[in-house]
Amino acid sequence: MAKTKMQNLKMPVKEIKVLAYVLLLVFLALFLAGCYDAKEIDQEVYALVIGVDKGVNNAIRITFQVPTYKDGGQGGMGGGGGDGDNGTETGELDGTVVATVEAPSLIEAINILNATSNRMISLSHAKMLVFSEEYAREGVGRYIEPLARFREVRELMRVVVCRGKAEDFIKENKPVISQNIAKDIELSYLQSQNTGYFRDVFFTEFYIDLLSPYGQPTAIYAGVNEFDQMLDSEPGLSAPPKTYLDIKPGLIPRKGGNKKDLFGTAVFDGDRMVGSLNPEETRFFLMSIGEFERSYFTLEDQNKPGYIYVLEVTAVSKPRIKARIADGVPVIDLSLELDADLASIQSRINYEKSDLIEGFEAYLESYFQKGIKNTIEKTQKEFGTDIFQFGKKIAGNFRTIQEFEEYNWLKHYPEAEINVNVKVNVRRSGYFYETHHIFSTKLE
Amino acid sequence: MVRIIKEGKFGFREAFALLTIMEITKIFYTSPHVIIKELGTAAWYATLISCLTSLLFFGLVYLLLKRFPGNDLYQVFEAATGPKLGKILILIFGVYFLYYAGVNMGEFTIILKVYSKRLTPTEILTVAFLFVLIAQAYVGLEGIARTAYVFFFFIMGGLLLIILLAIPAYELDYLKPWLGYGLDKTILIGILRSSAYDEIIVLAIIINSIHGLKNFKKVGITCLIFTGLTFSICLACILAAFQYTVASEHLSGMFQLSRIIYYSRFFQRVEAIFLFIWVFASLITVSLAFYMALSSYCRAFKINNHRPLLLPFAFLAFTVASWPDNVAEVLEIHVKLIRQYSFLILYFLPLLVLAWSLITGKKGGKASGENQNAKLENAGQGN
Repeated sequence: MAKTKMQNLKMPVKEIKVLAYVLLLVFLALFLAGCYDAKEIDQEVYALVIGVDKGVNNAIRITFQVPTYKDGGQGGMGGGGGDGDNGTETGELDGTVVATVEAPSLIEAINILNATSNRMISLSHAKMLVFSEEYAREGVGRYIEPLARFREVRELMRVVVCRGKAEDFIKENKPVISQNIAKDIELSYLQSQNTGYFRDVFFTEFYIDLLSPYGQPTAIYAGVNEFDQMLDSEPGLSAPPKTYLDIKPGLIPRKGGNKKDLFGTAVFDGDRMVGSLNPEETRFFLMSIGEFERSYFTLEDQNKPGYIYVLEVTAVSKPRIKARIADGVPVIDLSLELDADLASIQSRINYEKSDLIEGFEAYLESYFQKGIKNTIEKTQKEFGTDIFQFGKKIAGNFRTIQEFEEYNWLKHYPEAEINVNVKVNVRRSGYFYETHHIFSTKLE
Repeated sequence: MVRIIKEGKFGFREAFALLTIMEITKIFYTSPHVIIKELGTAAWYATLISCLTSLLFFGLVYLLLKRFPGNDLYQVFEAATGPKLGKILILIFGVYFLYYAGVNMGEFTIILKVYSKRLTPTEILTVAFLFVLIAQAYVGLEGIARTAYVFFFFIMGGLLLIILLAIPAYELDYLKPWLGYGLDKTILIGILRSSAYDEIIVLAIIINSIHGLKNFKKVGITCLIFTGLTFSICLACILAAFQYTVASEHLSGMFQLSRIIYYSRFFQRVEAIFLFIWVFASLITVSLAFYMALSSYCRAFKINNHRPLLLPFAFLAFTVASWPDNVAEVLEIHVKLIRQYSFLILYFLPLLVLAWSLITGKKGGKASGENQNAKLENAGQGN
């Protein structure tokens, strides 16, 4: 009996095995903690914006904007920093801290700031890399390479060149509509799709174009608007409509809202900025490279000067580009198709009607054709850089990489003959079709 | 000549999954970097030349096995060249597989340290990896094959997802100029890099576990074609996304591809998919190589139980993984040896044996597959 009881108390072998496996699993779970690389979320601070200026005491001046973990920090609860003189000294700014340091390199700058703050600075959530224009014109290659190589850096942050100092630009990077600065920054890039006034340039694209034999890089052109471009109105004074936006970022006549202007395109030759495209040219540029989505175009009415009409233009498909080399001259044929919706016609001329629509479309086609051609010519004659990446089509005329690199397309770009063909379809006319004229005593 | 370790049996699907994973894992590593650096825009079709060369070699190995029906490659070595030379050939294969396992493990830890676990000491990563290898090898070939079949769908699904999600980044014009650095160079390197597919020889060693010659041919050809197309598509995608200039800088092209996926602020940073599939693919690949090293040693010395050898072999694999002092050594010496010159062992040795057997007129008996398999199975029962 006693033996049977003992036998009953004994665990069957199968159960012991199961228990052993469970214990083994529990033990192995210890390895899942990833002890060495484990980091608590608040052990680090995540730089959202990185600014690069020329240094005075050392080669470069790096500015970081990092969200704080206080109320009003990046999560966006409450008002946050910038509390008087104390906030100015510590660089606190609407739930973020703007810290600037001079160092021989960008990574060293992070190290210095790590030593002086009580948290490690991580670039893994960086959303914007800002170069001052002065710096960009001297060449950014030296500071792009470590960023591309550095494991923490996100390929998806955007590259911005700002008029004036990057530090000043970052200080104006405040959330105005909401309190979440990360969301604010991300949403600001979306405006490229809605307006076409700037190209949304990812860091990875910038780096690829920097090393590319097919074309040259561009960046978002930006500036700080001091709201001093709005002149006081005078009685009896009226300005004619200026439909061509030849305005640099920071100089838009406006008041209120965020002081940051993303408005235009910085053009590079290799790693040096050589010029910029204004917002109008940027839209033609985006159309040519297939990154244009939609935008409003205001044009002066060709049949009634002083009056304007507004078109909502969308791209139908990617542009078609053909390239060949004829008698040693590169020839490129660019053709694209646009849809236009009439959003407003001040003159009330019924361009949407079948008897006028063909002529109207032809006029618009010549307008866009001219705009694109002028923009291309500007890059050929003024900058000498193929930001349109036509080289990728020209490359098809060469058998090997050696032949293509020896030809050096970037050098031949200014002499290329580029033909542009635009097809415009006026599709819709808003809520109205065939509008009526306005009655008055002075009716003609 | 009987098989000593009981390796179990599995079907077409498991064998296909196992070998495909072993072949495909290198696309997650430095392979794209090396081939794009050497061949530029022609890399995507150069790999198809490698694949075709491998198919040719595979056909010759098939002829060799056909001369000795019912025998696996190691048995053929012994039958054709005699027990002593056969043993040496088996040991050469065993040493190669150990080297392969060690180098792949070293490459894995280097990339893991660069991209994810930068603070974890290399030794910890290697030892953790070895734990899995030991567990897999303990279970044996059939266990590894069945694990491979389960993870095959995740690995291929993940790879497909990365390729599809990155579509907006592709610009097919970046595949021009079409001939890369020249057609002659492309063909030469393409043929040399048939080594990138020579793991298919494992099928000849485990032929009796996959139900003989008919399945061997079916699995081998399907696997090579599938892998060749996958490599070609992956390389074309990497080139189309990064151009030949930047693509030749990246340590892991596929990882970089996963990092540039961006649809909106809600849909980005999907590189976790890559890490998931990459770790599982690496574990299965290295486990199989590690097991093949063990199995070769046991076969050479007629050891009927491989399990007591697990720890010594793990130690050896750890030693090989620790050989390279830096990433340059891994890439420029070890990985290059494996992916560019390993065909001298894995393809040429069986071909020499084929030539020898043709010269000497040696041939295996016409044992029927069924009977021979049953005989082998019975021999294994004693273990």
